[in-house]
Amino acid sequence: MNQKFENLQQSFRRWWPFYVMLAPGLLFYLVYHYLPIWEARLAFQDVRIIPPNIWVGTKHFVALASSPVFLQVLMNTIVISAMKLVFIFPVPILVALLLNEVRSANYRKFVQSVIYLPHYLSWVVIAGITVATLSPSDGAVNEVIGLMGFDPIPFMTDTGSIRWVLVFSEMWRSAGWDSLIYFAAIVGISQELYEAAEMDGAGRWQKIWFVTIPGIAPTIATLFILNVGLFLSQGFDQVINLSNDVVRSHIDIVDTYVYRIGLQTGEFALATAAGLFKGVIGMILIISAHTISKRLTGKGVW
Amino acid sequence: MFTNSRSTPFERIEYILILSALFLMVVVTAQPILHLVAVSFSDPAEVPGMSGLEVLPRGVSFDVWSLLIQNPNVQRGFLNAAIITAAGTVIAVLGTTLMAWALAQQRLPGRRIILLLVLVTVVFDPGIIPEFFVMKNIGLLNSYWSVILFRAVFAWYLIILIRLFEEVPSELLEAAELDGANPFQTLWYVIVPVAKSSIAMITLFYLVLNWNEFFRAMIYLNDPDKWPLQVVLRQFVVEGDKVGMVGLANVSANTDVNQISIRALKAGMITLTIAPLVLIYPLILKYFTKGTMSGAVKG
Repeated sequence: MNQKFENLQQSFRRWWPFYVMLAPGLLFYLVYHYLPIWEARLAFQDVRIIPPNIWVGTKHFVALASSPVFLQVLMNTIVISAMKLVFIFPVPILVALLLNEVRSANYRKFVQSVIYLPHYLSWVVIAGITVATLSPSDGAVNEVIGLMGFDPIPFMTDTGSIRWVLVFSEMWRSAGWDSLIYFAAIVGISQELYEAAEMDGAGRWQKIWFVTIPGIAPTIATLFILNVGLFLSQGFDQVINLSNDVVRSHIDIVDTYVYRIGLQTGEFALATAAGLFKGVIGMILIISAHTISKRLTGKGVW
Repeated sequence: MFTNSRSTPFERIEYILILSALFLMVVVTAQPILHLVAVSFSDPAEVPGMSGLEVLPRGVSFDVWSLLIQNPNVQRGFLNAAIITAAGTVIAVLGTTLMAWALAQQRLPGRRIILLLVLVTVVFDPGIIPEFFVMKNIGLLNSYWSVILFRAVFAWYLIILIRLFEEVPSELLEAAELDGANPFQTLWYVIVPVAKSSIAMITLFYLVLNWNEFFRAMIYLNDPDKWPLQVVLRQFVVEGDKVGMVGLANVSANTDVNQISIRALKAGMITLTIAPLVLIYPLILKYFTKGTMSGAVKG
């Protein structure tokens, strides 16, 4: 017993400065991450003006499951995420492949420094830019449509277009920046492989197909799995800034729904239940993604 | 550019097509931004007739900018954003660096459990409502602190720093220990200089995150006088609240302000919000690209 106590004392004497360093970070994680997890018990309660709240079990989850609005929101989330995955995911790979073909380092740096920029803009700013660019009266896109002899399209208030607005604004923001990780992977491919391919008489496209793409395949696989893992957690900032009353029912996703019914309408318990539902599904997705990625490529998500 | 003697005419056309495709991407990325900058510097009388394709100002005028700079909402928004960004970044960089250095100690008792606790927060997010109630319960609602502290330690950056700190050669650390340095001194005199560019990179990351933060500010700060620039911009551009922006008197009356089209004001406001980012963008390019190329950045 005494020996154990002495060990503990010795250990403390050695490590205490590091615990001091940890303290602010741990306090942050407690307040912003662990207290909310505890607070999420609200999903199983009914809110009363005078505390304590009443425990109601899974009532709110049952209500969600039978709510046509929530089911629509869930459907929107899945459809929009799938559209983004299909149409956005390949673009940065293509951009990286093109960038790698550029022989002038200056031209390549020029292109890179422009196309990375939108990644650093907030969705408030991008929403402003998007609305201006898509304006039916004087937006650049409709000017081009007009030059081709067609009528302008009111993209932001057109229920048929609005999901595509989400896809293309996300592409505008991230296709450039996301190409960086593939470009880094391409640069890491051994030059000898290219030389060997050239000896065999391979042209530009053959080298891309037989050397570059196999070389970045693990990166592509990891990022694809990661994207699937984050399937449900994409686009809150985007949707909240690009939404309006006309198109809301087509692009309302789980996160915006939680915000709307929780903080705007005041149905706290129902909103917490919806958020918790998404949190649990998201957790299952990301842990599966990590496990699959680890098994497939040896590299996990974290 | 075309010195490769083996290239056939077909390959040259191919190459030109590749360069053009990338140039098209540059145009599509930059044109919408340049257009808004151009509108904000144009003669207000010319703005209503401007096409969305134009990227040069029509006549040069600073009317929009002088109006924006004199607007009390914009001034307060800028100041609030500066306060939140400065405080948020300093606290985040300090908090993350200290925590990373402690967790880089392989034999620190409790290290694994703390890493696991951090990882859980990456994987599981209970949503915004519980967090809102925590802020309410601890009395941070309507306080700058709720927004400043929100990203004090961002898990991904923490993980990046831990990995980097673990790579610092142990000879350096032993030398410091022999000189009688305590862990704080080792961090300050040995680790920080070695990991200087990574810490600079993370500082820039946090600067951008804090400057761009609008949602936490929007829900936690009820008092419009505390809103950072992003929320002021959102109120004007997304919510279409002209009154808050130019004042009730100016919306209906035929004043100077009303002469300047709302379109030009919005363009100016967007440009103003981007401006600080564009100023630090060269630094971002320098450090971020280097960091990503060395495999230090994920996601």
